[in-house]
Amino acid sequence: MSANTPAEAAPGPSSNEPNPRGSETRGSDPRTSGRAGPAVDGAKLVRERRMNNAKKNWALFRSDVPALIGAVVLLFFIVIAIAAPLIAPASMLDVTKQLDVPRYAPPSLDHPLGTDDLGRELWVRILWGARVSILVGVAATVMSMIIGTIMGLAAGHFTGLFGGIIMRIVDFFIVLPSLLLAIVLSSVLERGVFTIVVAIGLTSWASTARIVRSQTLSVESRLYIERARILGAGHFHILFRHLLPAVMPLVLANTTLTVGGAIIAESTLSFLGLGDTSKESWGTILKNSMDVSAATSGYWWYVLTPGVAILLVVLAFTMVGRAFEAIINPALRSR
Amino acid sequence: MTDLQFENVSITYRSSSDRGDVVAVEDVSLDLPAGATLGIAGESGSGKSTLIMSALRLLPKSARLEGRVLLGGQDIRELSFGQIRAVRWAQASIVFQGALHSLNPVREVGSQIIEALEHHSKGTWTTPQKRRDRMFELLAEVNLETSKSSAYPHELSGGQKQRIMIAMALACEPDIIIADEPTTALDVIVQKQILSGLARLVAERGISLLMISHDLAVLSAVCANLAIMRHGRLVEYGPSDEVCLSPQEDYTKQLAGAFPQIGDPESRLNPRTLKPAEVVRAEPFTMTDEVVLEAKNLSVSFDTRRGRERAVRGVDLQLRKAEILAVVGQSGSGKTTLARSLLGLQEVEAGSQLSFAGKALPKQAKALRAFRRKVQMILQDPAGSLNPKRSVYEAVVEGLKVQGIRDQEYERVIGALEAAELTPAEDYLESIPQELSGGQRQRVVIAGALALDPQVLIADEPVASLDASVRGEILSLFLALKKNLGMSALIITHDLGLAWNIADTVAVMKRGEIVEYGEVDRVLSDPQHEYTQELLAAVPRLGSQSLVRNE
Repeated sequence: MSANTPAEAAPGPSSNEPNPRGSETRGSDPRTSGRAGPAVDGAKLVRERRMNNAKKNWALFRSDVPALIGAVVLLFFIVIAIAAPLIAPASMLDVTKQLDVPRYAPPSLDHPLGTDDLGRELWVRILWGARVSILVGVAATVMSMIIGTIMGLAAGHFTGLFGGIIMRIVDFFIVLPSLLLAIVLSSVLERGVFTIVVAIGLTSWASTARIVRSQTLSVESRLYIERARILGAGHFHILFRHLLPAVMPLVLANTTLTVGGAIIAESTLSFLGLGDTSKESWGTILKNSMDVSAATSGYWWYVLTPGVAILLVVLAFTMVGRAFEAIINPALRSR
Repeated sequence: MTDLQFENVSITYRSSSDRGDVVAVEDVSLDLPAGATLGIAGESGSGKSTLIMSALRLLPKSARLEGRVLLGGQDIRELSFGQIRAVRWAQASIVFQGALHSLNPVREVGSQIIEALEHHSKGTWTTPQKRRDRMFELLAEVNLETSKSSAYPHELSGGQKQRIMIAMALACEPDIIIADEPTTALDVIVQKQILSGLARLVAERGISLLMISHDLAVLSAVCANLAIMRHGRLVEYGPSDEVCLSPQEDYTKQLAGAFPQIGDPESRLNPRTLKPAEVVRAEPFTMTDEVVLEAKNLSVSFDTRRGRERAVRGVDLQLRKAEILAVVGQSGSGKTTLARSLLGLQEVEAGSQLSFAGKALPKQAKALRAFRRKVQMILQDPAGSLNPKRSVYEAVVEGLKVQGIRDQEYERVIGALEAAELTPAEDYLESIPQELSGGQRQRVVIAGALALDPQVLIADEPVASLDASVRGEILSLFLALKKNLGMSALIITHDLGLAWNIADTVAVMKRGEIVEYGEVDRVLSDPQHEYTQELLAAVPRLGSQSLVRNE
């Protein structure tokens, strides 16, 4: 049958045009040259096309003003979170070293964001709190996205008993009050940042799974999936070459929107006193402020500062997320 | 009675894309006097749909109309919104293209017919009871039982849905019916029923009919006058017999030739096209006796709500090396199920025997994968068969990757694309499906199958969604593949002309059974089974308004 391969039966590129790539291949041993020369070529074409697509999307993103503002705000918070130890040494949080500082000092030039009940500078606490809040927000979201994508793909792709069982598990997590579950998890497990990440991640993936599943189902019915099957593809190929790339944009857009929720969830848990009390976080600051009745005593800066920080970061993530969504789904752009 | 006149109509679509303004219709003048029938033929993109939409001012906002469209002597551009609403449906109504998707899936079809009556009660159908009676009257007119009025669209077949659409168009006793591809996607027998229904209405009611199709034979079966459009311009216009049987323009000849006349020796094994695929072998392969793919007593059943339904019953089929076998039948006759089970994509009943090259079809995933390298299938819709995000190169290389063929990847892709006559192949590698025409997409799909170097190609309606001129090209490609590579092909179609064009043997399927099976020349020129005869009789012939005069 080899004499009849299309590659040989059809007039190859080398026979009718002076293509150095083609003639070189024809001349030498097909096995080695197939790998070294032109085989790379095909892959390179694919890579170039993807680069171009990425550039186009980047241009679209840049033309979106709210998204840029969001990105700048995010970048600012990430930079101050990373650089926290350089800007404000950890000793500034040590109560034992803040004996000569006034307690409950309102915002002024000496104390830009005011001080708390122990005389600590609030801006330092915000700085250090950003580390935990953003880390937990992103880590919990990544965890929830990974679980959600895997479960959603599996529920959409596999039919019959297996798919049914997965979908019931998803349903179970959807109807569960997630905050309650997170509270239970974080009080049962050892205290710490990691526990909070697990608690939030485990409770927030179900809605992602539902979205991914519906997208998977719609892609699954396309003819090109059937064509892949005809070409001999198994589950692995269909899941990772067709379905995953098709749901990935949706997952990414969903990620940025979920980060905001995760940051709020972290604050909620810390506020309820379930977080790691030894570490600063925006939720912890809020909890402390409530412990001393800051709002009713007129220490407005104590409540407002962490609240505004949470608001800014969540808003920034949402604006970036919306821009991602618009890039994936052109129909949203004009709205 | 109302006349419809197009006077020097030009329609331009404004577009902000790189293509700039698109001229869809250019300087077309046509006349449809009351009670006349006019057919407009042309390929996709010829502007025929745009032209008729202008008759009811249904064009999108980006369209600019020049010239005049006169309905009953009145320029439709001068009508107010209220007046144009009154005109729509009461004077002229449209049977839309893709009627199968034009019905609301969550409402009973009867109430959808009543909807048209509610909007245009015209003083006649003023009470709900009168409207209901009128609806039953309409159903009777299009030969549907009254019980169908409470059916939902998904419970009806394609032909029944099309008839509902026609009943809706008739609802307010319009003077003009505009039908946009009313029978595309329907099989010949249903097509004949729909066309003769339309023809009867025209004759009895004196309704004028403006019909659009890409199929000259369909138009000539019903319409007295024919207009041929290409690139927005009128190419030829005249009485339908003249246009069909002695066309003046080359383009008309090409259109007329695209759908072969069964029995015409000139088109036997010779699809007419301006771009025939090259036969490069000095001694082209011809059909041999070596059986490649064989089915014995093949049965397939599905579980439906109404119990178990048998889609394929006891089919015996043999595909020999370098044979092209056409499986012909109406929609719902089990053709596609048969093809899927030959590929092992469909579970078959116990007792069915499927074998490839003398060995039974494997069951395990690994062996099936190896089997599919040798037997490939091309799906019905080339647009849907390609992942919209992946380039031509990725689409063709996919099979190689799946099958674990690593060496000479680039050469194999280029070779397959050239074997599918997509040349120069290098220019297409980076294109994504959206940038390709329907015919090119189908070639990419075929190339994807060819890259695996299969021995058998199964094609499900490979040309049904393609234009007439492309149809010839793809069919000649199948013939060339057989002659050059000795490939066997099983082609599923509802189009007997296709079998006449390229097939060696033909199997006629009805309700999951093969009723007639044999060489094309014998079966099509001397059909034994009455179903084959019925199918053959339903194929519209060029000219002579065959369906109207037979009635």
